[in-house]
Amino acid sequence: MKRAVLLLLFLAALAFPVVFTLPFPRHVMIMIFLYGALAVAWNILAGYCGQISLGHAVFFGIGAYTSTLLVAKGQLTPWLGMAAGAALAVLVSQLIGYPVFRLRGHYFAIATIAVGEIVQTLVINWDWAGGARGLFVPIKRPDSVVNFQFHQSKAVYYYIALGLLLLALAVTRWLERSRHGYYFRAIREDQDAAASLGVHVAREKHRAIAVSAALTALGGTFYAQYVFFIDPESVFPLSLSILICLIAVLGGVGTLWGPVLGAAVLVPLSEGTRVWLGGTGKALDLLIYGGLIMVIATLQPAGLMGLARRFRRAP
Amino acid sequence: MGCVYALIAAGLSLIFGLMEVVNFAHGEFLMLAMYVAFFAWALARLDPLVSLPLAALALAALGWATYHGLIRRVLGGPMLAQIFATFGLAVFLRSGAQFLWGVDFRTIKEPLLSGRLSVGGVFVGLPQLAASVLALGAFLGLYLFLSRSETGLALQATAQDRQAAALMGIDTDRMFALGWAIGSACVGVAGGLLAMFFYIFPEVGGAFALLAYVTVALGGFGNVPATLAAGVIVGLTEVVAGLVITPAMKYAVVFLLYLAVVLWRPQGLFGRF
Amino acid sequence: MTLFVALAFALILAVPGPAPAQPKDVVIGVIYPMSGPAAQAGIDNKPVFEIAAEIANGTTDLPFPFYQRLKGMPGLKGARVRLIFADHQGKPDVGQAEVERMFTQEKVHAVVCCWHSNVTAAASQAAERMGMPFFNAESSSPGLTARGFQWFFRSSPHDGHFTQVMFDFFRDFQAKRGVKLRTLGLTYEDTTFGADSGKVEKELAARYGYEVVLDLQYRARATSLQSEVQRLKAANPDVWMPTSYQTDAILFVRTSRELDYNPKMIMAQNAGHISSDFVKEVGREAEGTLTRAPFSTDLIDRRPVAKALNAIYAKRAGKDLYDFPARAFTGMMTLLDAINRAGATDPEAIRRALVATNIPGDQLIMTWDGVKFDATGQNTGVKGIILQMQGGKYHTVYPFDAATRDVLYPIPQWKDRK
Repeated sequence: MKRAVLLLLFLAALAFPVVFTLPFPRHVMIMIFLYGALAVAWNILAGYCGQISLGHAVFFGIGAYTSTLLVAKGQLTPWLGMAAGAALAVLVSQLIGYPVFRLRGHYFAIATIAVGEIVQTLVINWDWAGGARGLFVPIKRPDSVVNFQFHQSKAVYYYIALGLLLLALAVTRWLERSRHGYYFRAIREDQDAAASLGVHVAREKHRAIAVSAALTALGGTFYAQYVFFIDPESVFPLSLSILICLIAVLGGVGTLWGPVLGAAVLVPLSEGTRVWLGGTGKALDLLIYGGLIMVIATLQPAGLMGLARRFRRAP
Repeated sequence: MGCVYALIAAGLSLIFGLMEVVNFAHGEFLMLAMYVAFFAWALARLDPLVSLPLAALALAALGWATYHGLIRRVLGGPMLAQIFATFGLAVFLRSGAQFLWGVDFRTIKEPLLSGRLSVGGVFVGLPQLAASVLALGAFLGLYLFLSRSETGLALQATAQDRQAAALMGIDTDRMFALGWAIGSACVGVAGGLLAMFFYIFPEVGGAFALLAYVTVALGGFGNVPATLAAGVIVGLTEVVAGLVITPAMKYAVVFLLYLAVVLWRPQGLFGRF
Repeated sequence: MTLFVALAFALILAVPGPAPAQPKDVVIGVIYPMSGPAAQAGIDNKPVFEIAAEIANGTTDLPFPFYQRLKGMPGLKGARVRLIFADHQGKPDVGQAEVERMFTQEKVHAVVCCWHSNVTAAASQAAERMGMPFFNAESSSPGLTARGFQWFFRSSPHDGHFTQVMFDFFRDFQAKRGVKLRTLGLTYEDTTFGADSGKVEKELAARYGYEVVLDLQYRARATSLQSEVQRLKAANPDVWMPTSYQTDAILFVRTSRELDYNPKMIMAQNAGHISSDFVKEVGREAEGTLTRAPFSTDLIDRRPVAKALNAIYAKRAGKDLYDFPARAFTGMMTLLDAINRAGATDPEAIRRALVATNIPGDQLIMTWDGVKFDATGQNTGVKGIILQMQGGKYHTVYPFDAATRDVLYPIPQWKDRK
């Protein structure tokens, strides 16, 4: 039954661009996949390992900047840039991990905010990388897979984004079943107990952040190649880190499908209210958005997955 | 500035210490307090200094209402649900302010206090000085209240052990509501003080809230006197880094300082685990 | 769970606004910040865009030949102009998605967008890719018209033009008053706007032999600017040249007052220093501030066109016309004029008409030579003016022959003001 539903959803996702040819619905779907993938990646560290990071924009920005700099200054294909960005993100995540993993709970969350702000400030003041002015991805025609640029249609972007999401899900699935997945959850439940049982806590945390950072950086490269313009305000902001966290929390942390579900609800919701009411200049869209978040948090603190689970149990 | 940062952070710290909830709408509370001060001035010609109690009361009411309307419902949930709820509140309040009052910037013109003092060649604005002194006063009041009065002690007891406090006959639910009211009143005072020299618009809270989080964590969650020290350190670091290194980096230096401190003391300067 | 996904989809599909345009309508997408820190620009511009559309539809009257000719869009045999407003929240990716949505779903014929330079940068790429006309009325980053785009048009001056005027002013002012201006202190905020402005100012300073004694990029929307002002005070340049949006501009004035910083001359890069909030809230304290501008409120009385428009605008917006709405109006009228001349709404016809634009200066509300685009899509008829804050209002002080007031120099010290 469950497998049939998943298969159906997957087929529907594959068929979507065929049915909807307008760019905007496709754009919304691409954003769902992108943010879904980011939230799944965040979930590996926060949901399974219990380390709530509010600085994931750092890895996103690294992904975006690495590939774009390599294209703009080194003429390298963004696909290589994507790999380089992920590698760099892993490296940076290990450096960040050294100080911040000694902290717990809210101290950890705030330390990751601090890291995010420091990195954003550094990039803003880094003239060679465009500084505050940002970077353009040089436009190359015609469309090509090597250049990672598709101007004619969003369908290719759509499938790449879908691929990213599936990759993130597959990695999570694999981790969930591997012994690391068990270590991660043990650390989340009780770090000291896990340590006393022989789990190498620091090493496992570093593993979790490495995987999470790499997947987030892939999303960053995708964003850069999709929007063709990046600046520190758009790829390193705290608001992005918080958004990723919100999506995962909305869907349900520590579950495989929760973050995807969160993205599937939150992205259309925010795009929809903005398109519908944003032009009034009265901020009505954000008013509704904020109100809904509060309602969901009070009625269903375990996220939508909790709701789904309750549904399943009820009949 | 440090004293004002500290006062903003104190409210956050108090609430956290009591029930381990970080209020992500703290900056928006500050923004509302500034609007209270502004409207008291614009409609009734009350100087922010005079309307301080008003701002404090209004915010206390807001804090109380937030606890009863929102926080109590998510208290049993996971930490993330709490973050989520207060974040929703933040978005709601910010856009509510834009909806009601528009996006125009407002400032209070000709406050009672203006001008500056020169202390050994260093100029200090009078409004800032007054703000610092008053913030210190508010701090002292808060500290005395917490450590001397019966209610304050009950609050602290609740913070230390909810169940034990309940067994001792303390109404913890009331204590939580009270904690939110007092914590928010601190922001109310801070907002009233800031309104004397800062511009007011719906998005004003964000930058202050960010510094407040760092201040609280730097001092140690739940430790009110430590928050004062941390606030002063943050304020000083900001100015010194701006002068000695470069202003573009001043917030980065503040955050770096925080990281350096927690490396050495993971629970903050004066925190307990 | 499936229910939620289905609901979510229903939301996306249900949202897209009104039914597809009637073939006779001219539909223009207007994408501005309507929420967030810069929301004021979008909100103040909305009435002026509506007035522009009404002029073309014949429901509002502006009795000057250029506007009369557009009445009822004769080139399109009485097509109606309809505007669709949207919010980009100051985010480049949202701006880009909005442009795509506007063209494909709302079926607009052209977009006017974005105010923020970085949003314009991202959003115009979408229009370029689709081959649809993209009109920009105020982003001032010079790089925008240096990208070789075919579909990008900008009616407003960029920072290069603006900054040139400042240095022209320095030269003429020194000759006229016999004072020496040698050293400059630059402060600029750390987004695209500030970084570009700072770069151009440094280039021109080097070219004209001024010494930059302070070169300071600062964090936008700071909670305190004490150290920035202390640095200025220590460097004490002959001219302080700030580039800020309104939040920081207001705080700079307040902080200089508290710290008793007394610059002799302040030459600001428009934006924050000219916003109506800045004038309203700290106008008196900012006495003597000079700013470059394409438009000045005190010129309203001297230009009949501007005066007539202001009478309509002030009634709707509750404030006088100022720089942003003035530039927005000029941009929108330029676009409407082109569409009218094109006699068709297909993109290529509009683009060719835009290229052929030639609006004489005396028909504009701006003090420009006119509107005429070069190969990059930049209006070459632009001319900047310099304004000075005197008695809580901006007055034109340069070019000297158009000036309504003399330059106040040096700016009185804080202790000498009441």
